[in-house]
Amino acid sequence: MKLHEFVVRRLLLLIPVMIGVAIFTFAIAHIIPGDPAAIQCGDKCGLVVDYTEDGEPITAYEENRIRLKMDDPVLVQFDRYIRDLAAGDWGESLLYHRPVVDVVKDAAPITLEMSFLALFIAYPLGIFLGIVSAVRQDRMFDHISRFFAIAFVSLPIFWFAMMLQLFLATGTENGGICDPIFGTEGGCFPIYGRHDPSFTYPEDGYAWFYPAGGTGFHLVDSWFVTDDKLTSLPEEFGSNWLLFKDTLLHLALPCAALGIASAGSLLRYMRASLLEVLNEDYVRTARAKGLSEWRVVIVHACRNALIPIVTILGFSIGGAIGGAVLTETVFAFNGMGRVAVTSIQYLDFVVIMGVTLITSVIFLLSNLIVDITYAIIDPRVRLE
Amino acid sequence: MRDWDEGKEDRDESLRRLREALSQSRSDLSRSWAIYRRSLLAMLGLFMVISVSLVAIFAEYIAVEHPYRNLLDTEDKWSIDYEPRRAEPFSEECDWHEQKITTNPNSPLFSEIVVAESDDKVGDDSRFYRDTLSVIQIIKLEDFQGYDLNSSLISINSSNSSLLVLSPELYGNTSLYSGVWVTYEFDNEAMHHWWLPDGYDVCIFGTNDQGHDMFSKVVYGAKVSLKIGITVATLTVIIGTIVGSISGYFGGRVDEVIMRICDIFFAVPGLILAMAFVAAMNQITSLTIPIWLGILFPIFVLAAFSNTYLSSTVSDDDQVSEQVMSLLMRYRGVLLALFSFFFFMGWMPGASWPDFFEISESRGWRAFAALGILAVLGAIIIADRRFFLNTSFEGGLDRIKDSFDWTNPWRYLTFRTLAVFVSLALLFSFSGNEGEEIVLIKDFDRLWKVQAALIFTGWPGYARLIRGQVLYVKEMTFVEAARSVGARPGRIMFRHILPNAWAPLLVAFTLDIGGTILSASGLSFLGLGADAYTAEWGLMISESRRYFLLSPHLMLYPGLAIAVTVLGFNLLGDGIRDVVDPKNRR
Repeated sequence: MKLHEFVVRRLLLLIPVMIGVAIFTFAIAHIIPGDPAAIQCGDKCGLVVDYTEDGEPITAYEENRIRLKMDDPVLVQFDRYIRDLAAGDWGESLLYHRPVVDVVKDAAPITLEMSFLALFIAYPLGIFLGIVSAVRQDRMFDHISRFFAIAFVSLPIFWFAMMLQLFLATGTENGGICDPIFGTEGGCFPIYGRHDPSFTYPEDGYAWFYPAGGTGFHLVDSWFVTDDKLTSLPEEFGSNWLLFKDTLLHLALPCAALGIASAGSLLRYMRASLLEVLNEDYVRTARAKGLSEWRVVIVHACRNALIPIVTILGFSIGGAIGGAVLTETVFAFNGMGRVAVTSIQYLDFVVIMGVTLITSVIFLLSNLIVDITYAIIDPRVRLE
Repeated sequence: MRDWDEGKEDRDESLRRLREALSQSRSDLSRSWAIYRRSLLAMLGLFMVISVSLVAIFAEYIAVEHPYRNLLDTEDKWSIDYEPRRAEPFSEECDWHEQKITTNPNSPLFSEIVVAESDDKVGDDSRFYRDTLSVIQIIKLEDFQGYDLNSSLISINSSNSSLLVLSPELYGNTSLYSGVWVTYEFDNEAMHHWWLPDGYDVCIFGTNDQGHDMFSKVVYGAKVSLKIGITVATLTVIIGTIVGSISGYFGGRVDEVIMRICDIFFAVPGLILAMAFVAAMNQITSLTIPIWLGILFPIFVLAAFSNTYLSSTVSDDDQVSEQVMSLLMRYRGVLLALFSFFFFMGWMPGASWPDFFEISESRGWRAFAALGILAVLGAIIIADRRFFLNTSFEGGLDRIKDSFDWTNPWRYLTFRTLAVFVSLALLFSFSGNEGEEIVLIKDFDRLWKVQAALIFTGWPGYARLIRGQVLYVKEMTFVEAARSVGARPGRIMFRHILPNAWAPLLVAFTLDIGGTILSASGLSFLGLGADAYTAEWGLMISESRRYFLLSPHLMLYPGLAIAVTVLGFNLLGDGIRDVVDPKNRR
């Protein structure tokens, strides 16, 4: 199979899955108790807002039902739902009173920024420790690093995040273990939020900073604030670098909480994968040629050992978005995870549908990219 | 007698072989143990799992108080009181109690002598608990705004240590008419538990803001978490194995459909899906199914099995009833073992499982059982093809009777049986009994919902795992050999493929217990898990979040408990992986 055939095949396979996810979200939204028409009008459901042509009164509740077209058969509703999805109209949130697309557009970059940064830290760390662990198999370092790898996978992520806050964050009175190590006073990382509380965007700020809306990734956006706008900010955020630093410091603890489990599992995968490769004949050949051990491991063995690791990337992105639900709750980030929790708590089913859909789209696309990468670096896959 | 002597050598030989086989199987187990024992981490994991299980089993004896103490009506065995506010571990504040005293003489509640009693209550006033306390010393006295007063204004009655005597300055002072707060140390005999050393009659993990002993809650939490972990992992394994082996063995379109469904499940993050699922089940208070569904479902399952038999053996039409053999009859031992396992589980972690067995008391269940018996009889009568072939009625009843195969009634479960059952069941469901429902779980509380959600989100992982294993084993020569001698799919599946595919399943099962405990605590942390005040570790962390900078110990111990339990299962799973890894078995 040629590469482009492979890609097309994978893309076509996405379609039934996407339709399935749409059916799934639709079904969940219709099972969830709670009448959206009643939620929207709250305690004013009985008010008469209009009259029919025959002079019959229409209450606010009935008007909502008519407006949301809830009296249609379920299949008609589903048909309309799919059409609206395709047209980009994902409905309006009952809780935020904004279009779901806007809610998701605001929330998604926050989660993605955090997840990507977490994986960006976890991958090199996990792979490096995995290599060292495999090379020093059954020595002390191996045992210790494996124990910690399993231990980090076993930690409840929300608890670990709170422990990080307790020991490393500011505002905890004791300053944790941060003060003696880094010589700071009262902790070294901000305790929650995306920005320092003393720093607020001016009125209608974000749009003003980034007339085109920005990317939503503050790590990127902070470099594109023009100088004249920077001068309007407080002294400590007066340059692009300071803005970037502030964002980065706020991301440090959430990313550590999110990335540590990924790093742990990566270490184990990398170790197992490398140990398998190290037994191959060509590695023995490389050694027999008299190459240095590190060259054998890094250049010869790691190339093949890294191939299976690529497949895990897709799942770690999914896992990171799932873990973001907990991390964002602890660190008060208004990302997709928090939006999902809030919308489920308040039964805002339009947003639940939107968030579920968008997370699955992100997951499927990242898996698609991973699969294509895999097919490029390992041509054997395409033959199947 | 001569025959007996002649066969002696053969008998000895077969006995010797049997012994050899037995000794080999024993050595196999001991070899596994030897491999397992090599790893220190695996032994550590085993130790952790065993200790947590022991703590869960003997929670009543280890814990100082019942975690639902305040939520239940007064029962003597839980009549212990703490100071109802957060106390540090090992602090003497654990024995302190704060009590409001009316100091306005004009109030009808006023009295010069006040009984020292706990004012411990949670929730609505109908669940209210109060106990008289024996006071040792007065710690401090505060006015209503929190300013310290001279604590000698209140003294302990010399003859009865549970009575506090107010001095006239206290109730003569109009500025104190809004009342005072007295904090005193009380004699907490009940806190001194059998396993505590002398002098340590304190709460070793501190108390939470409700005045509950954290140690007791953490101990009881082991029960809840293990129950969730084991139940969910077992049920997901069963569902996943069934679906995955069907998918892997039959392949083709069935495989394609099942795998696409699994893809859908994988595409949505599990936690979000579980959250939505719990929310969707919010208003369900008891899990019931309509009777007609209860009848149809097992029939559909059985029909699905007999259906596969028919399709695979359809070539020889007359042999059909010969070849339709009973999976259930064959594996009744396995079923019995599974049932006993669940029964044991129901007995051990308490709480919800006993509800499952109350189905026998519902009328619906009895009707269901009666109908099941009728259905099997009907199947035997109607579905036997020889009955239809021999309907000449020569020879009368005897002939019909001879045509039955009484030894294996399951073989009559075929398409036609299904058709008969469907009509029977529909007839029954429309005959004025709509109100009757089979109650599966009477009290479908939040813990049940969490378990249901985790099973719902968890099975695709196993399905995919088992499918991969089946695909791999299916191509092996011994499976081909079995197929070539005419073994049926069910036999190949259960006798040849699954026994060779169980190793990764066992590893995944062990690891999944830990993973489930993590997810369940995560759900509880988000407020979508266990009901308020349940001794669930995730919920305990969530409840103490408000105070976590002031009293980190409230979240420290439940979190450590989760970490230790999950770590134990993960290490155990890793150890088992080393054991079942063929590379280690040389």
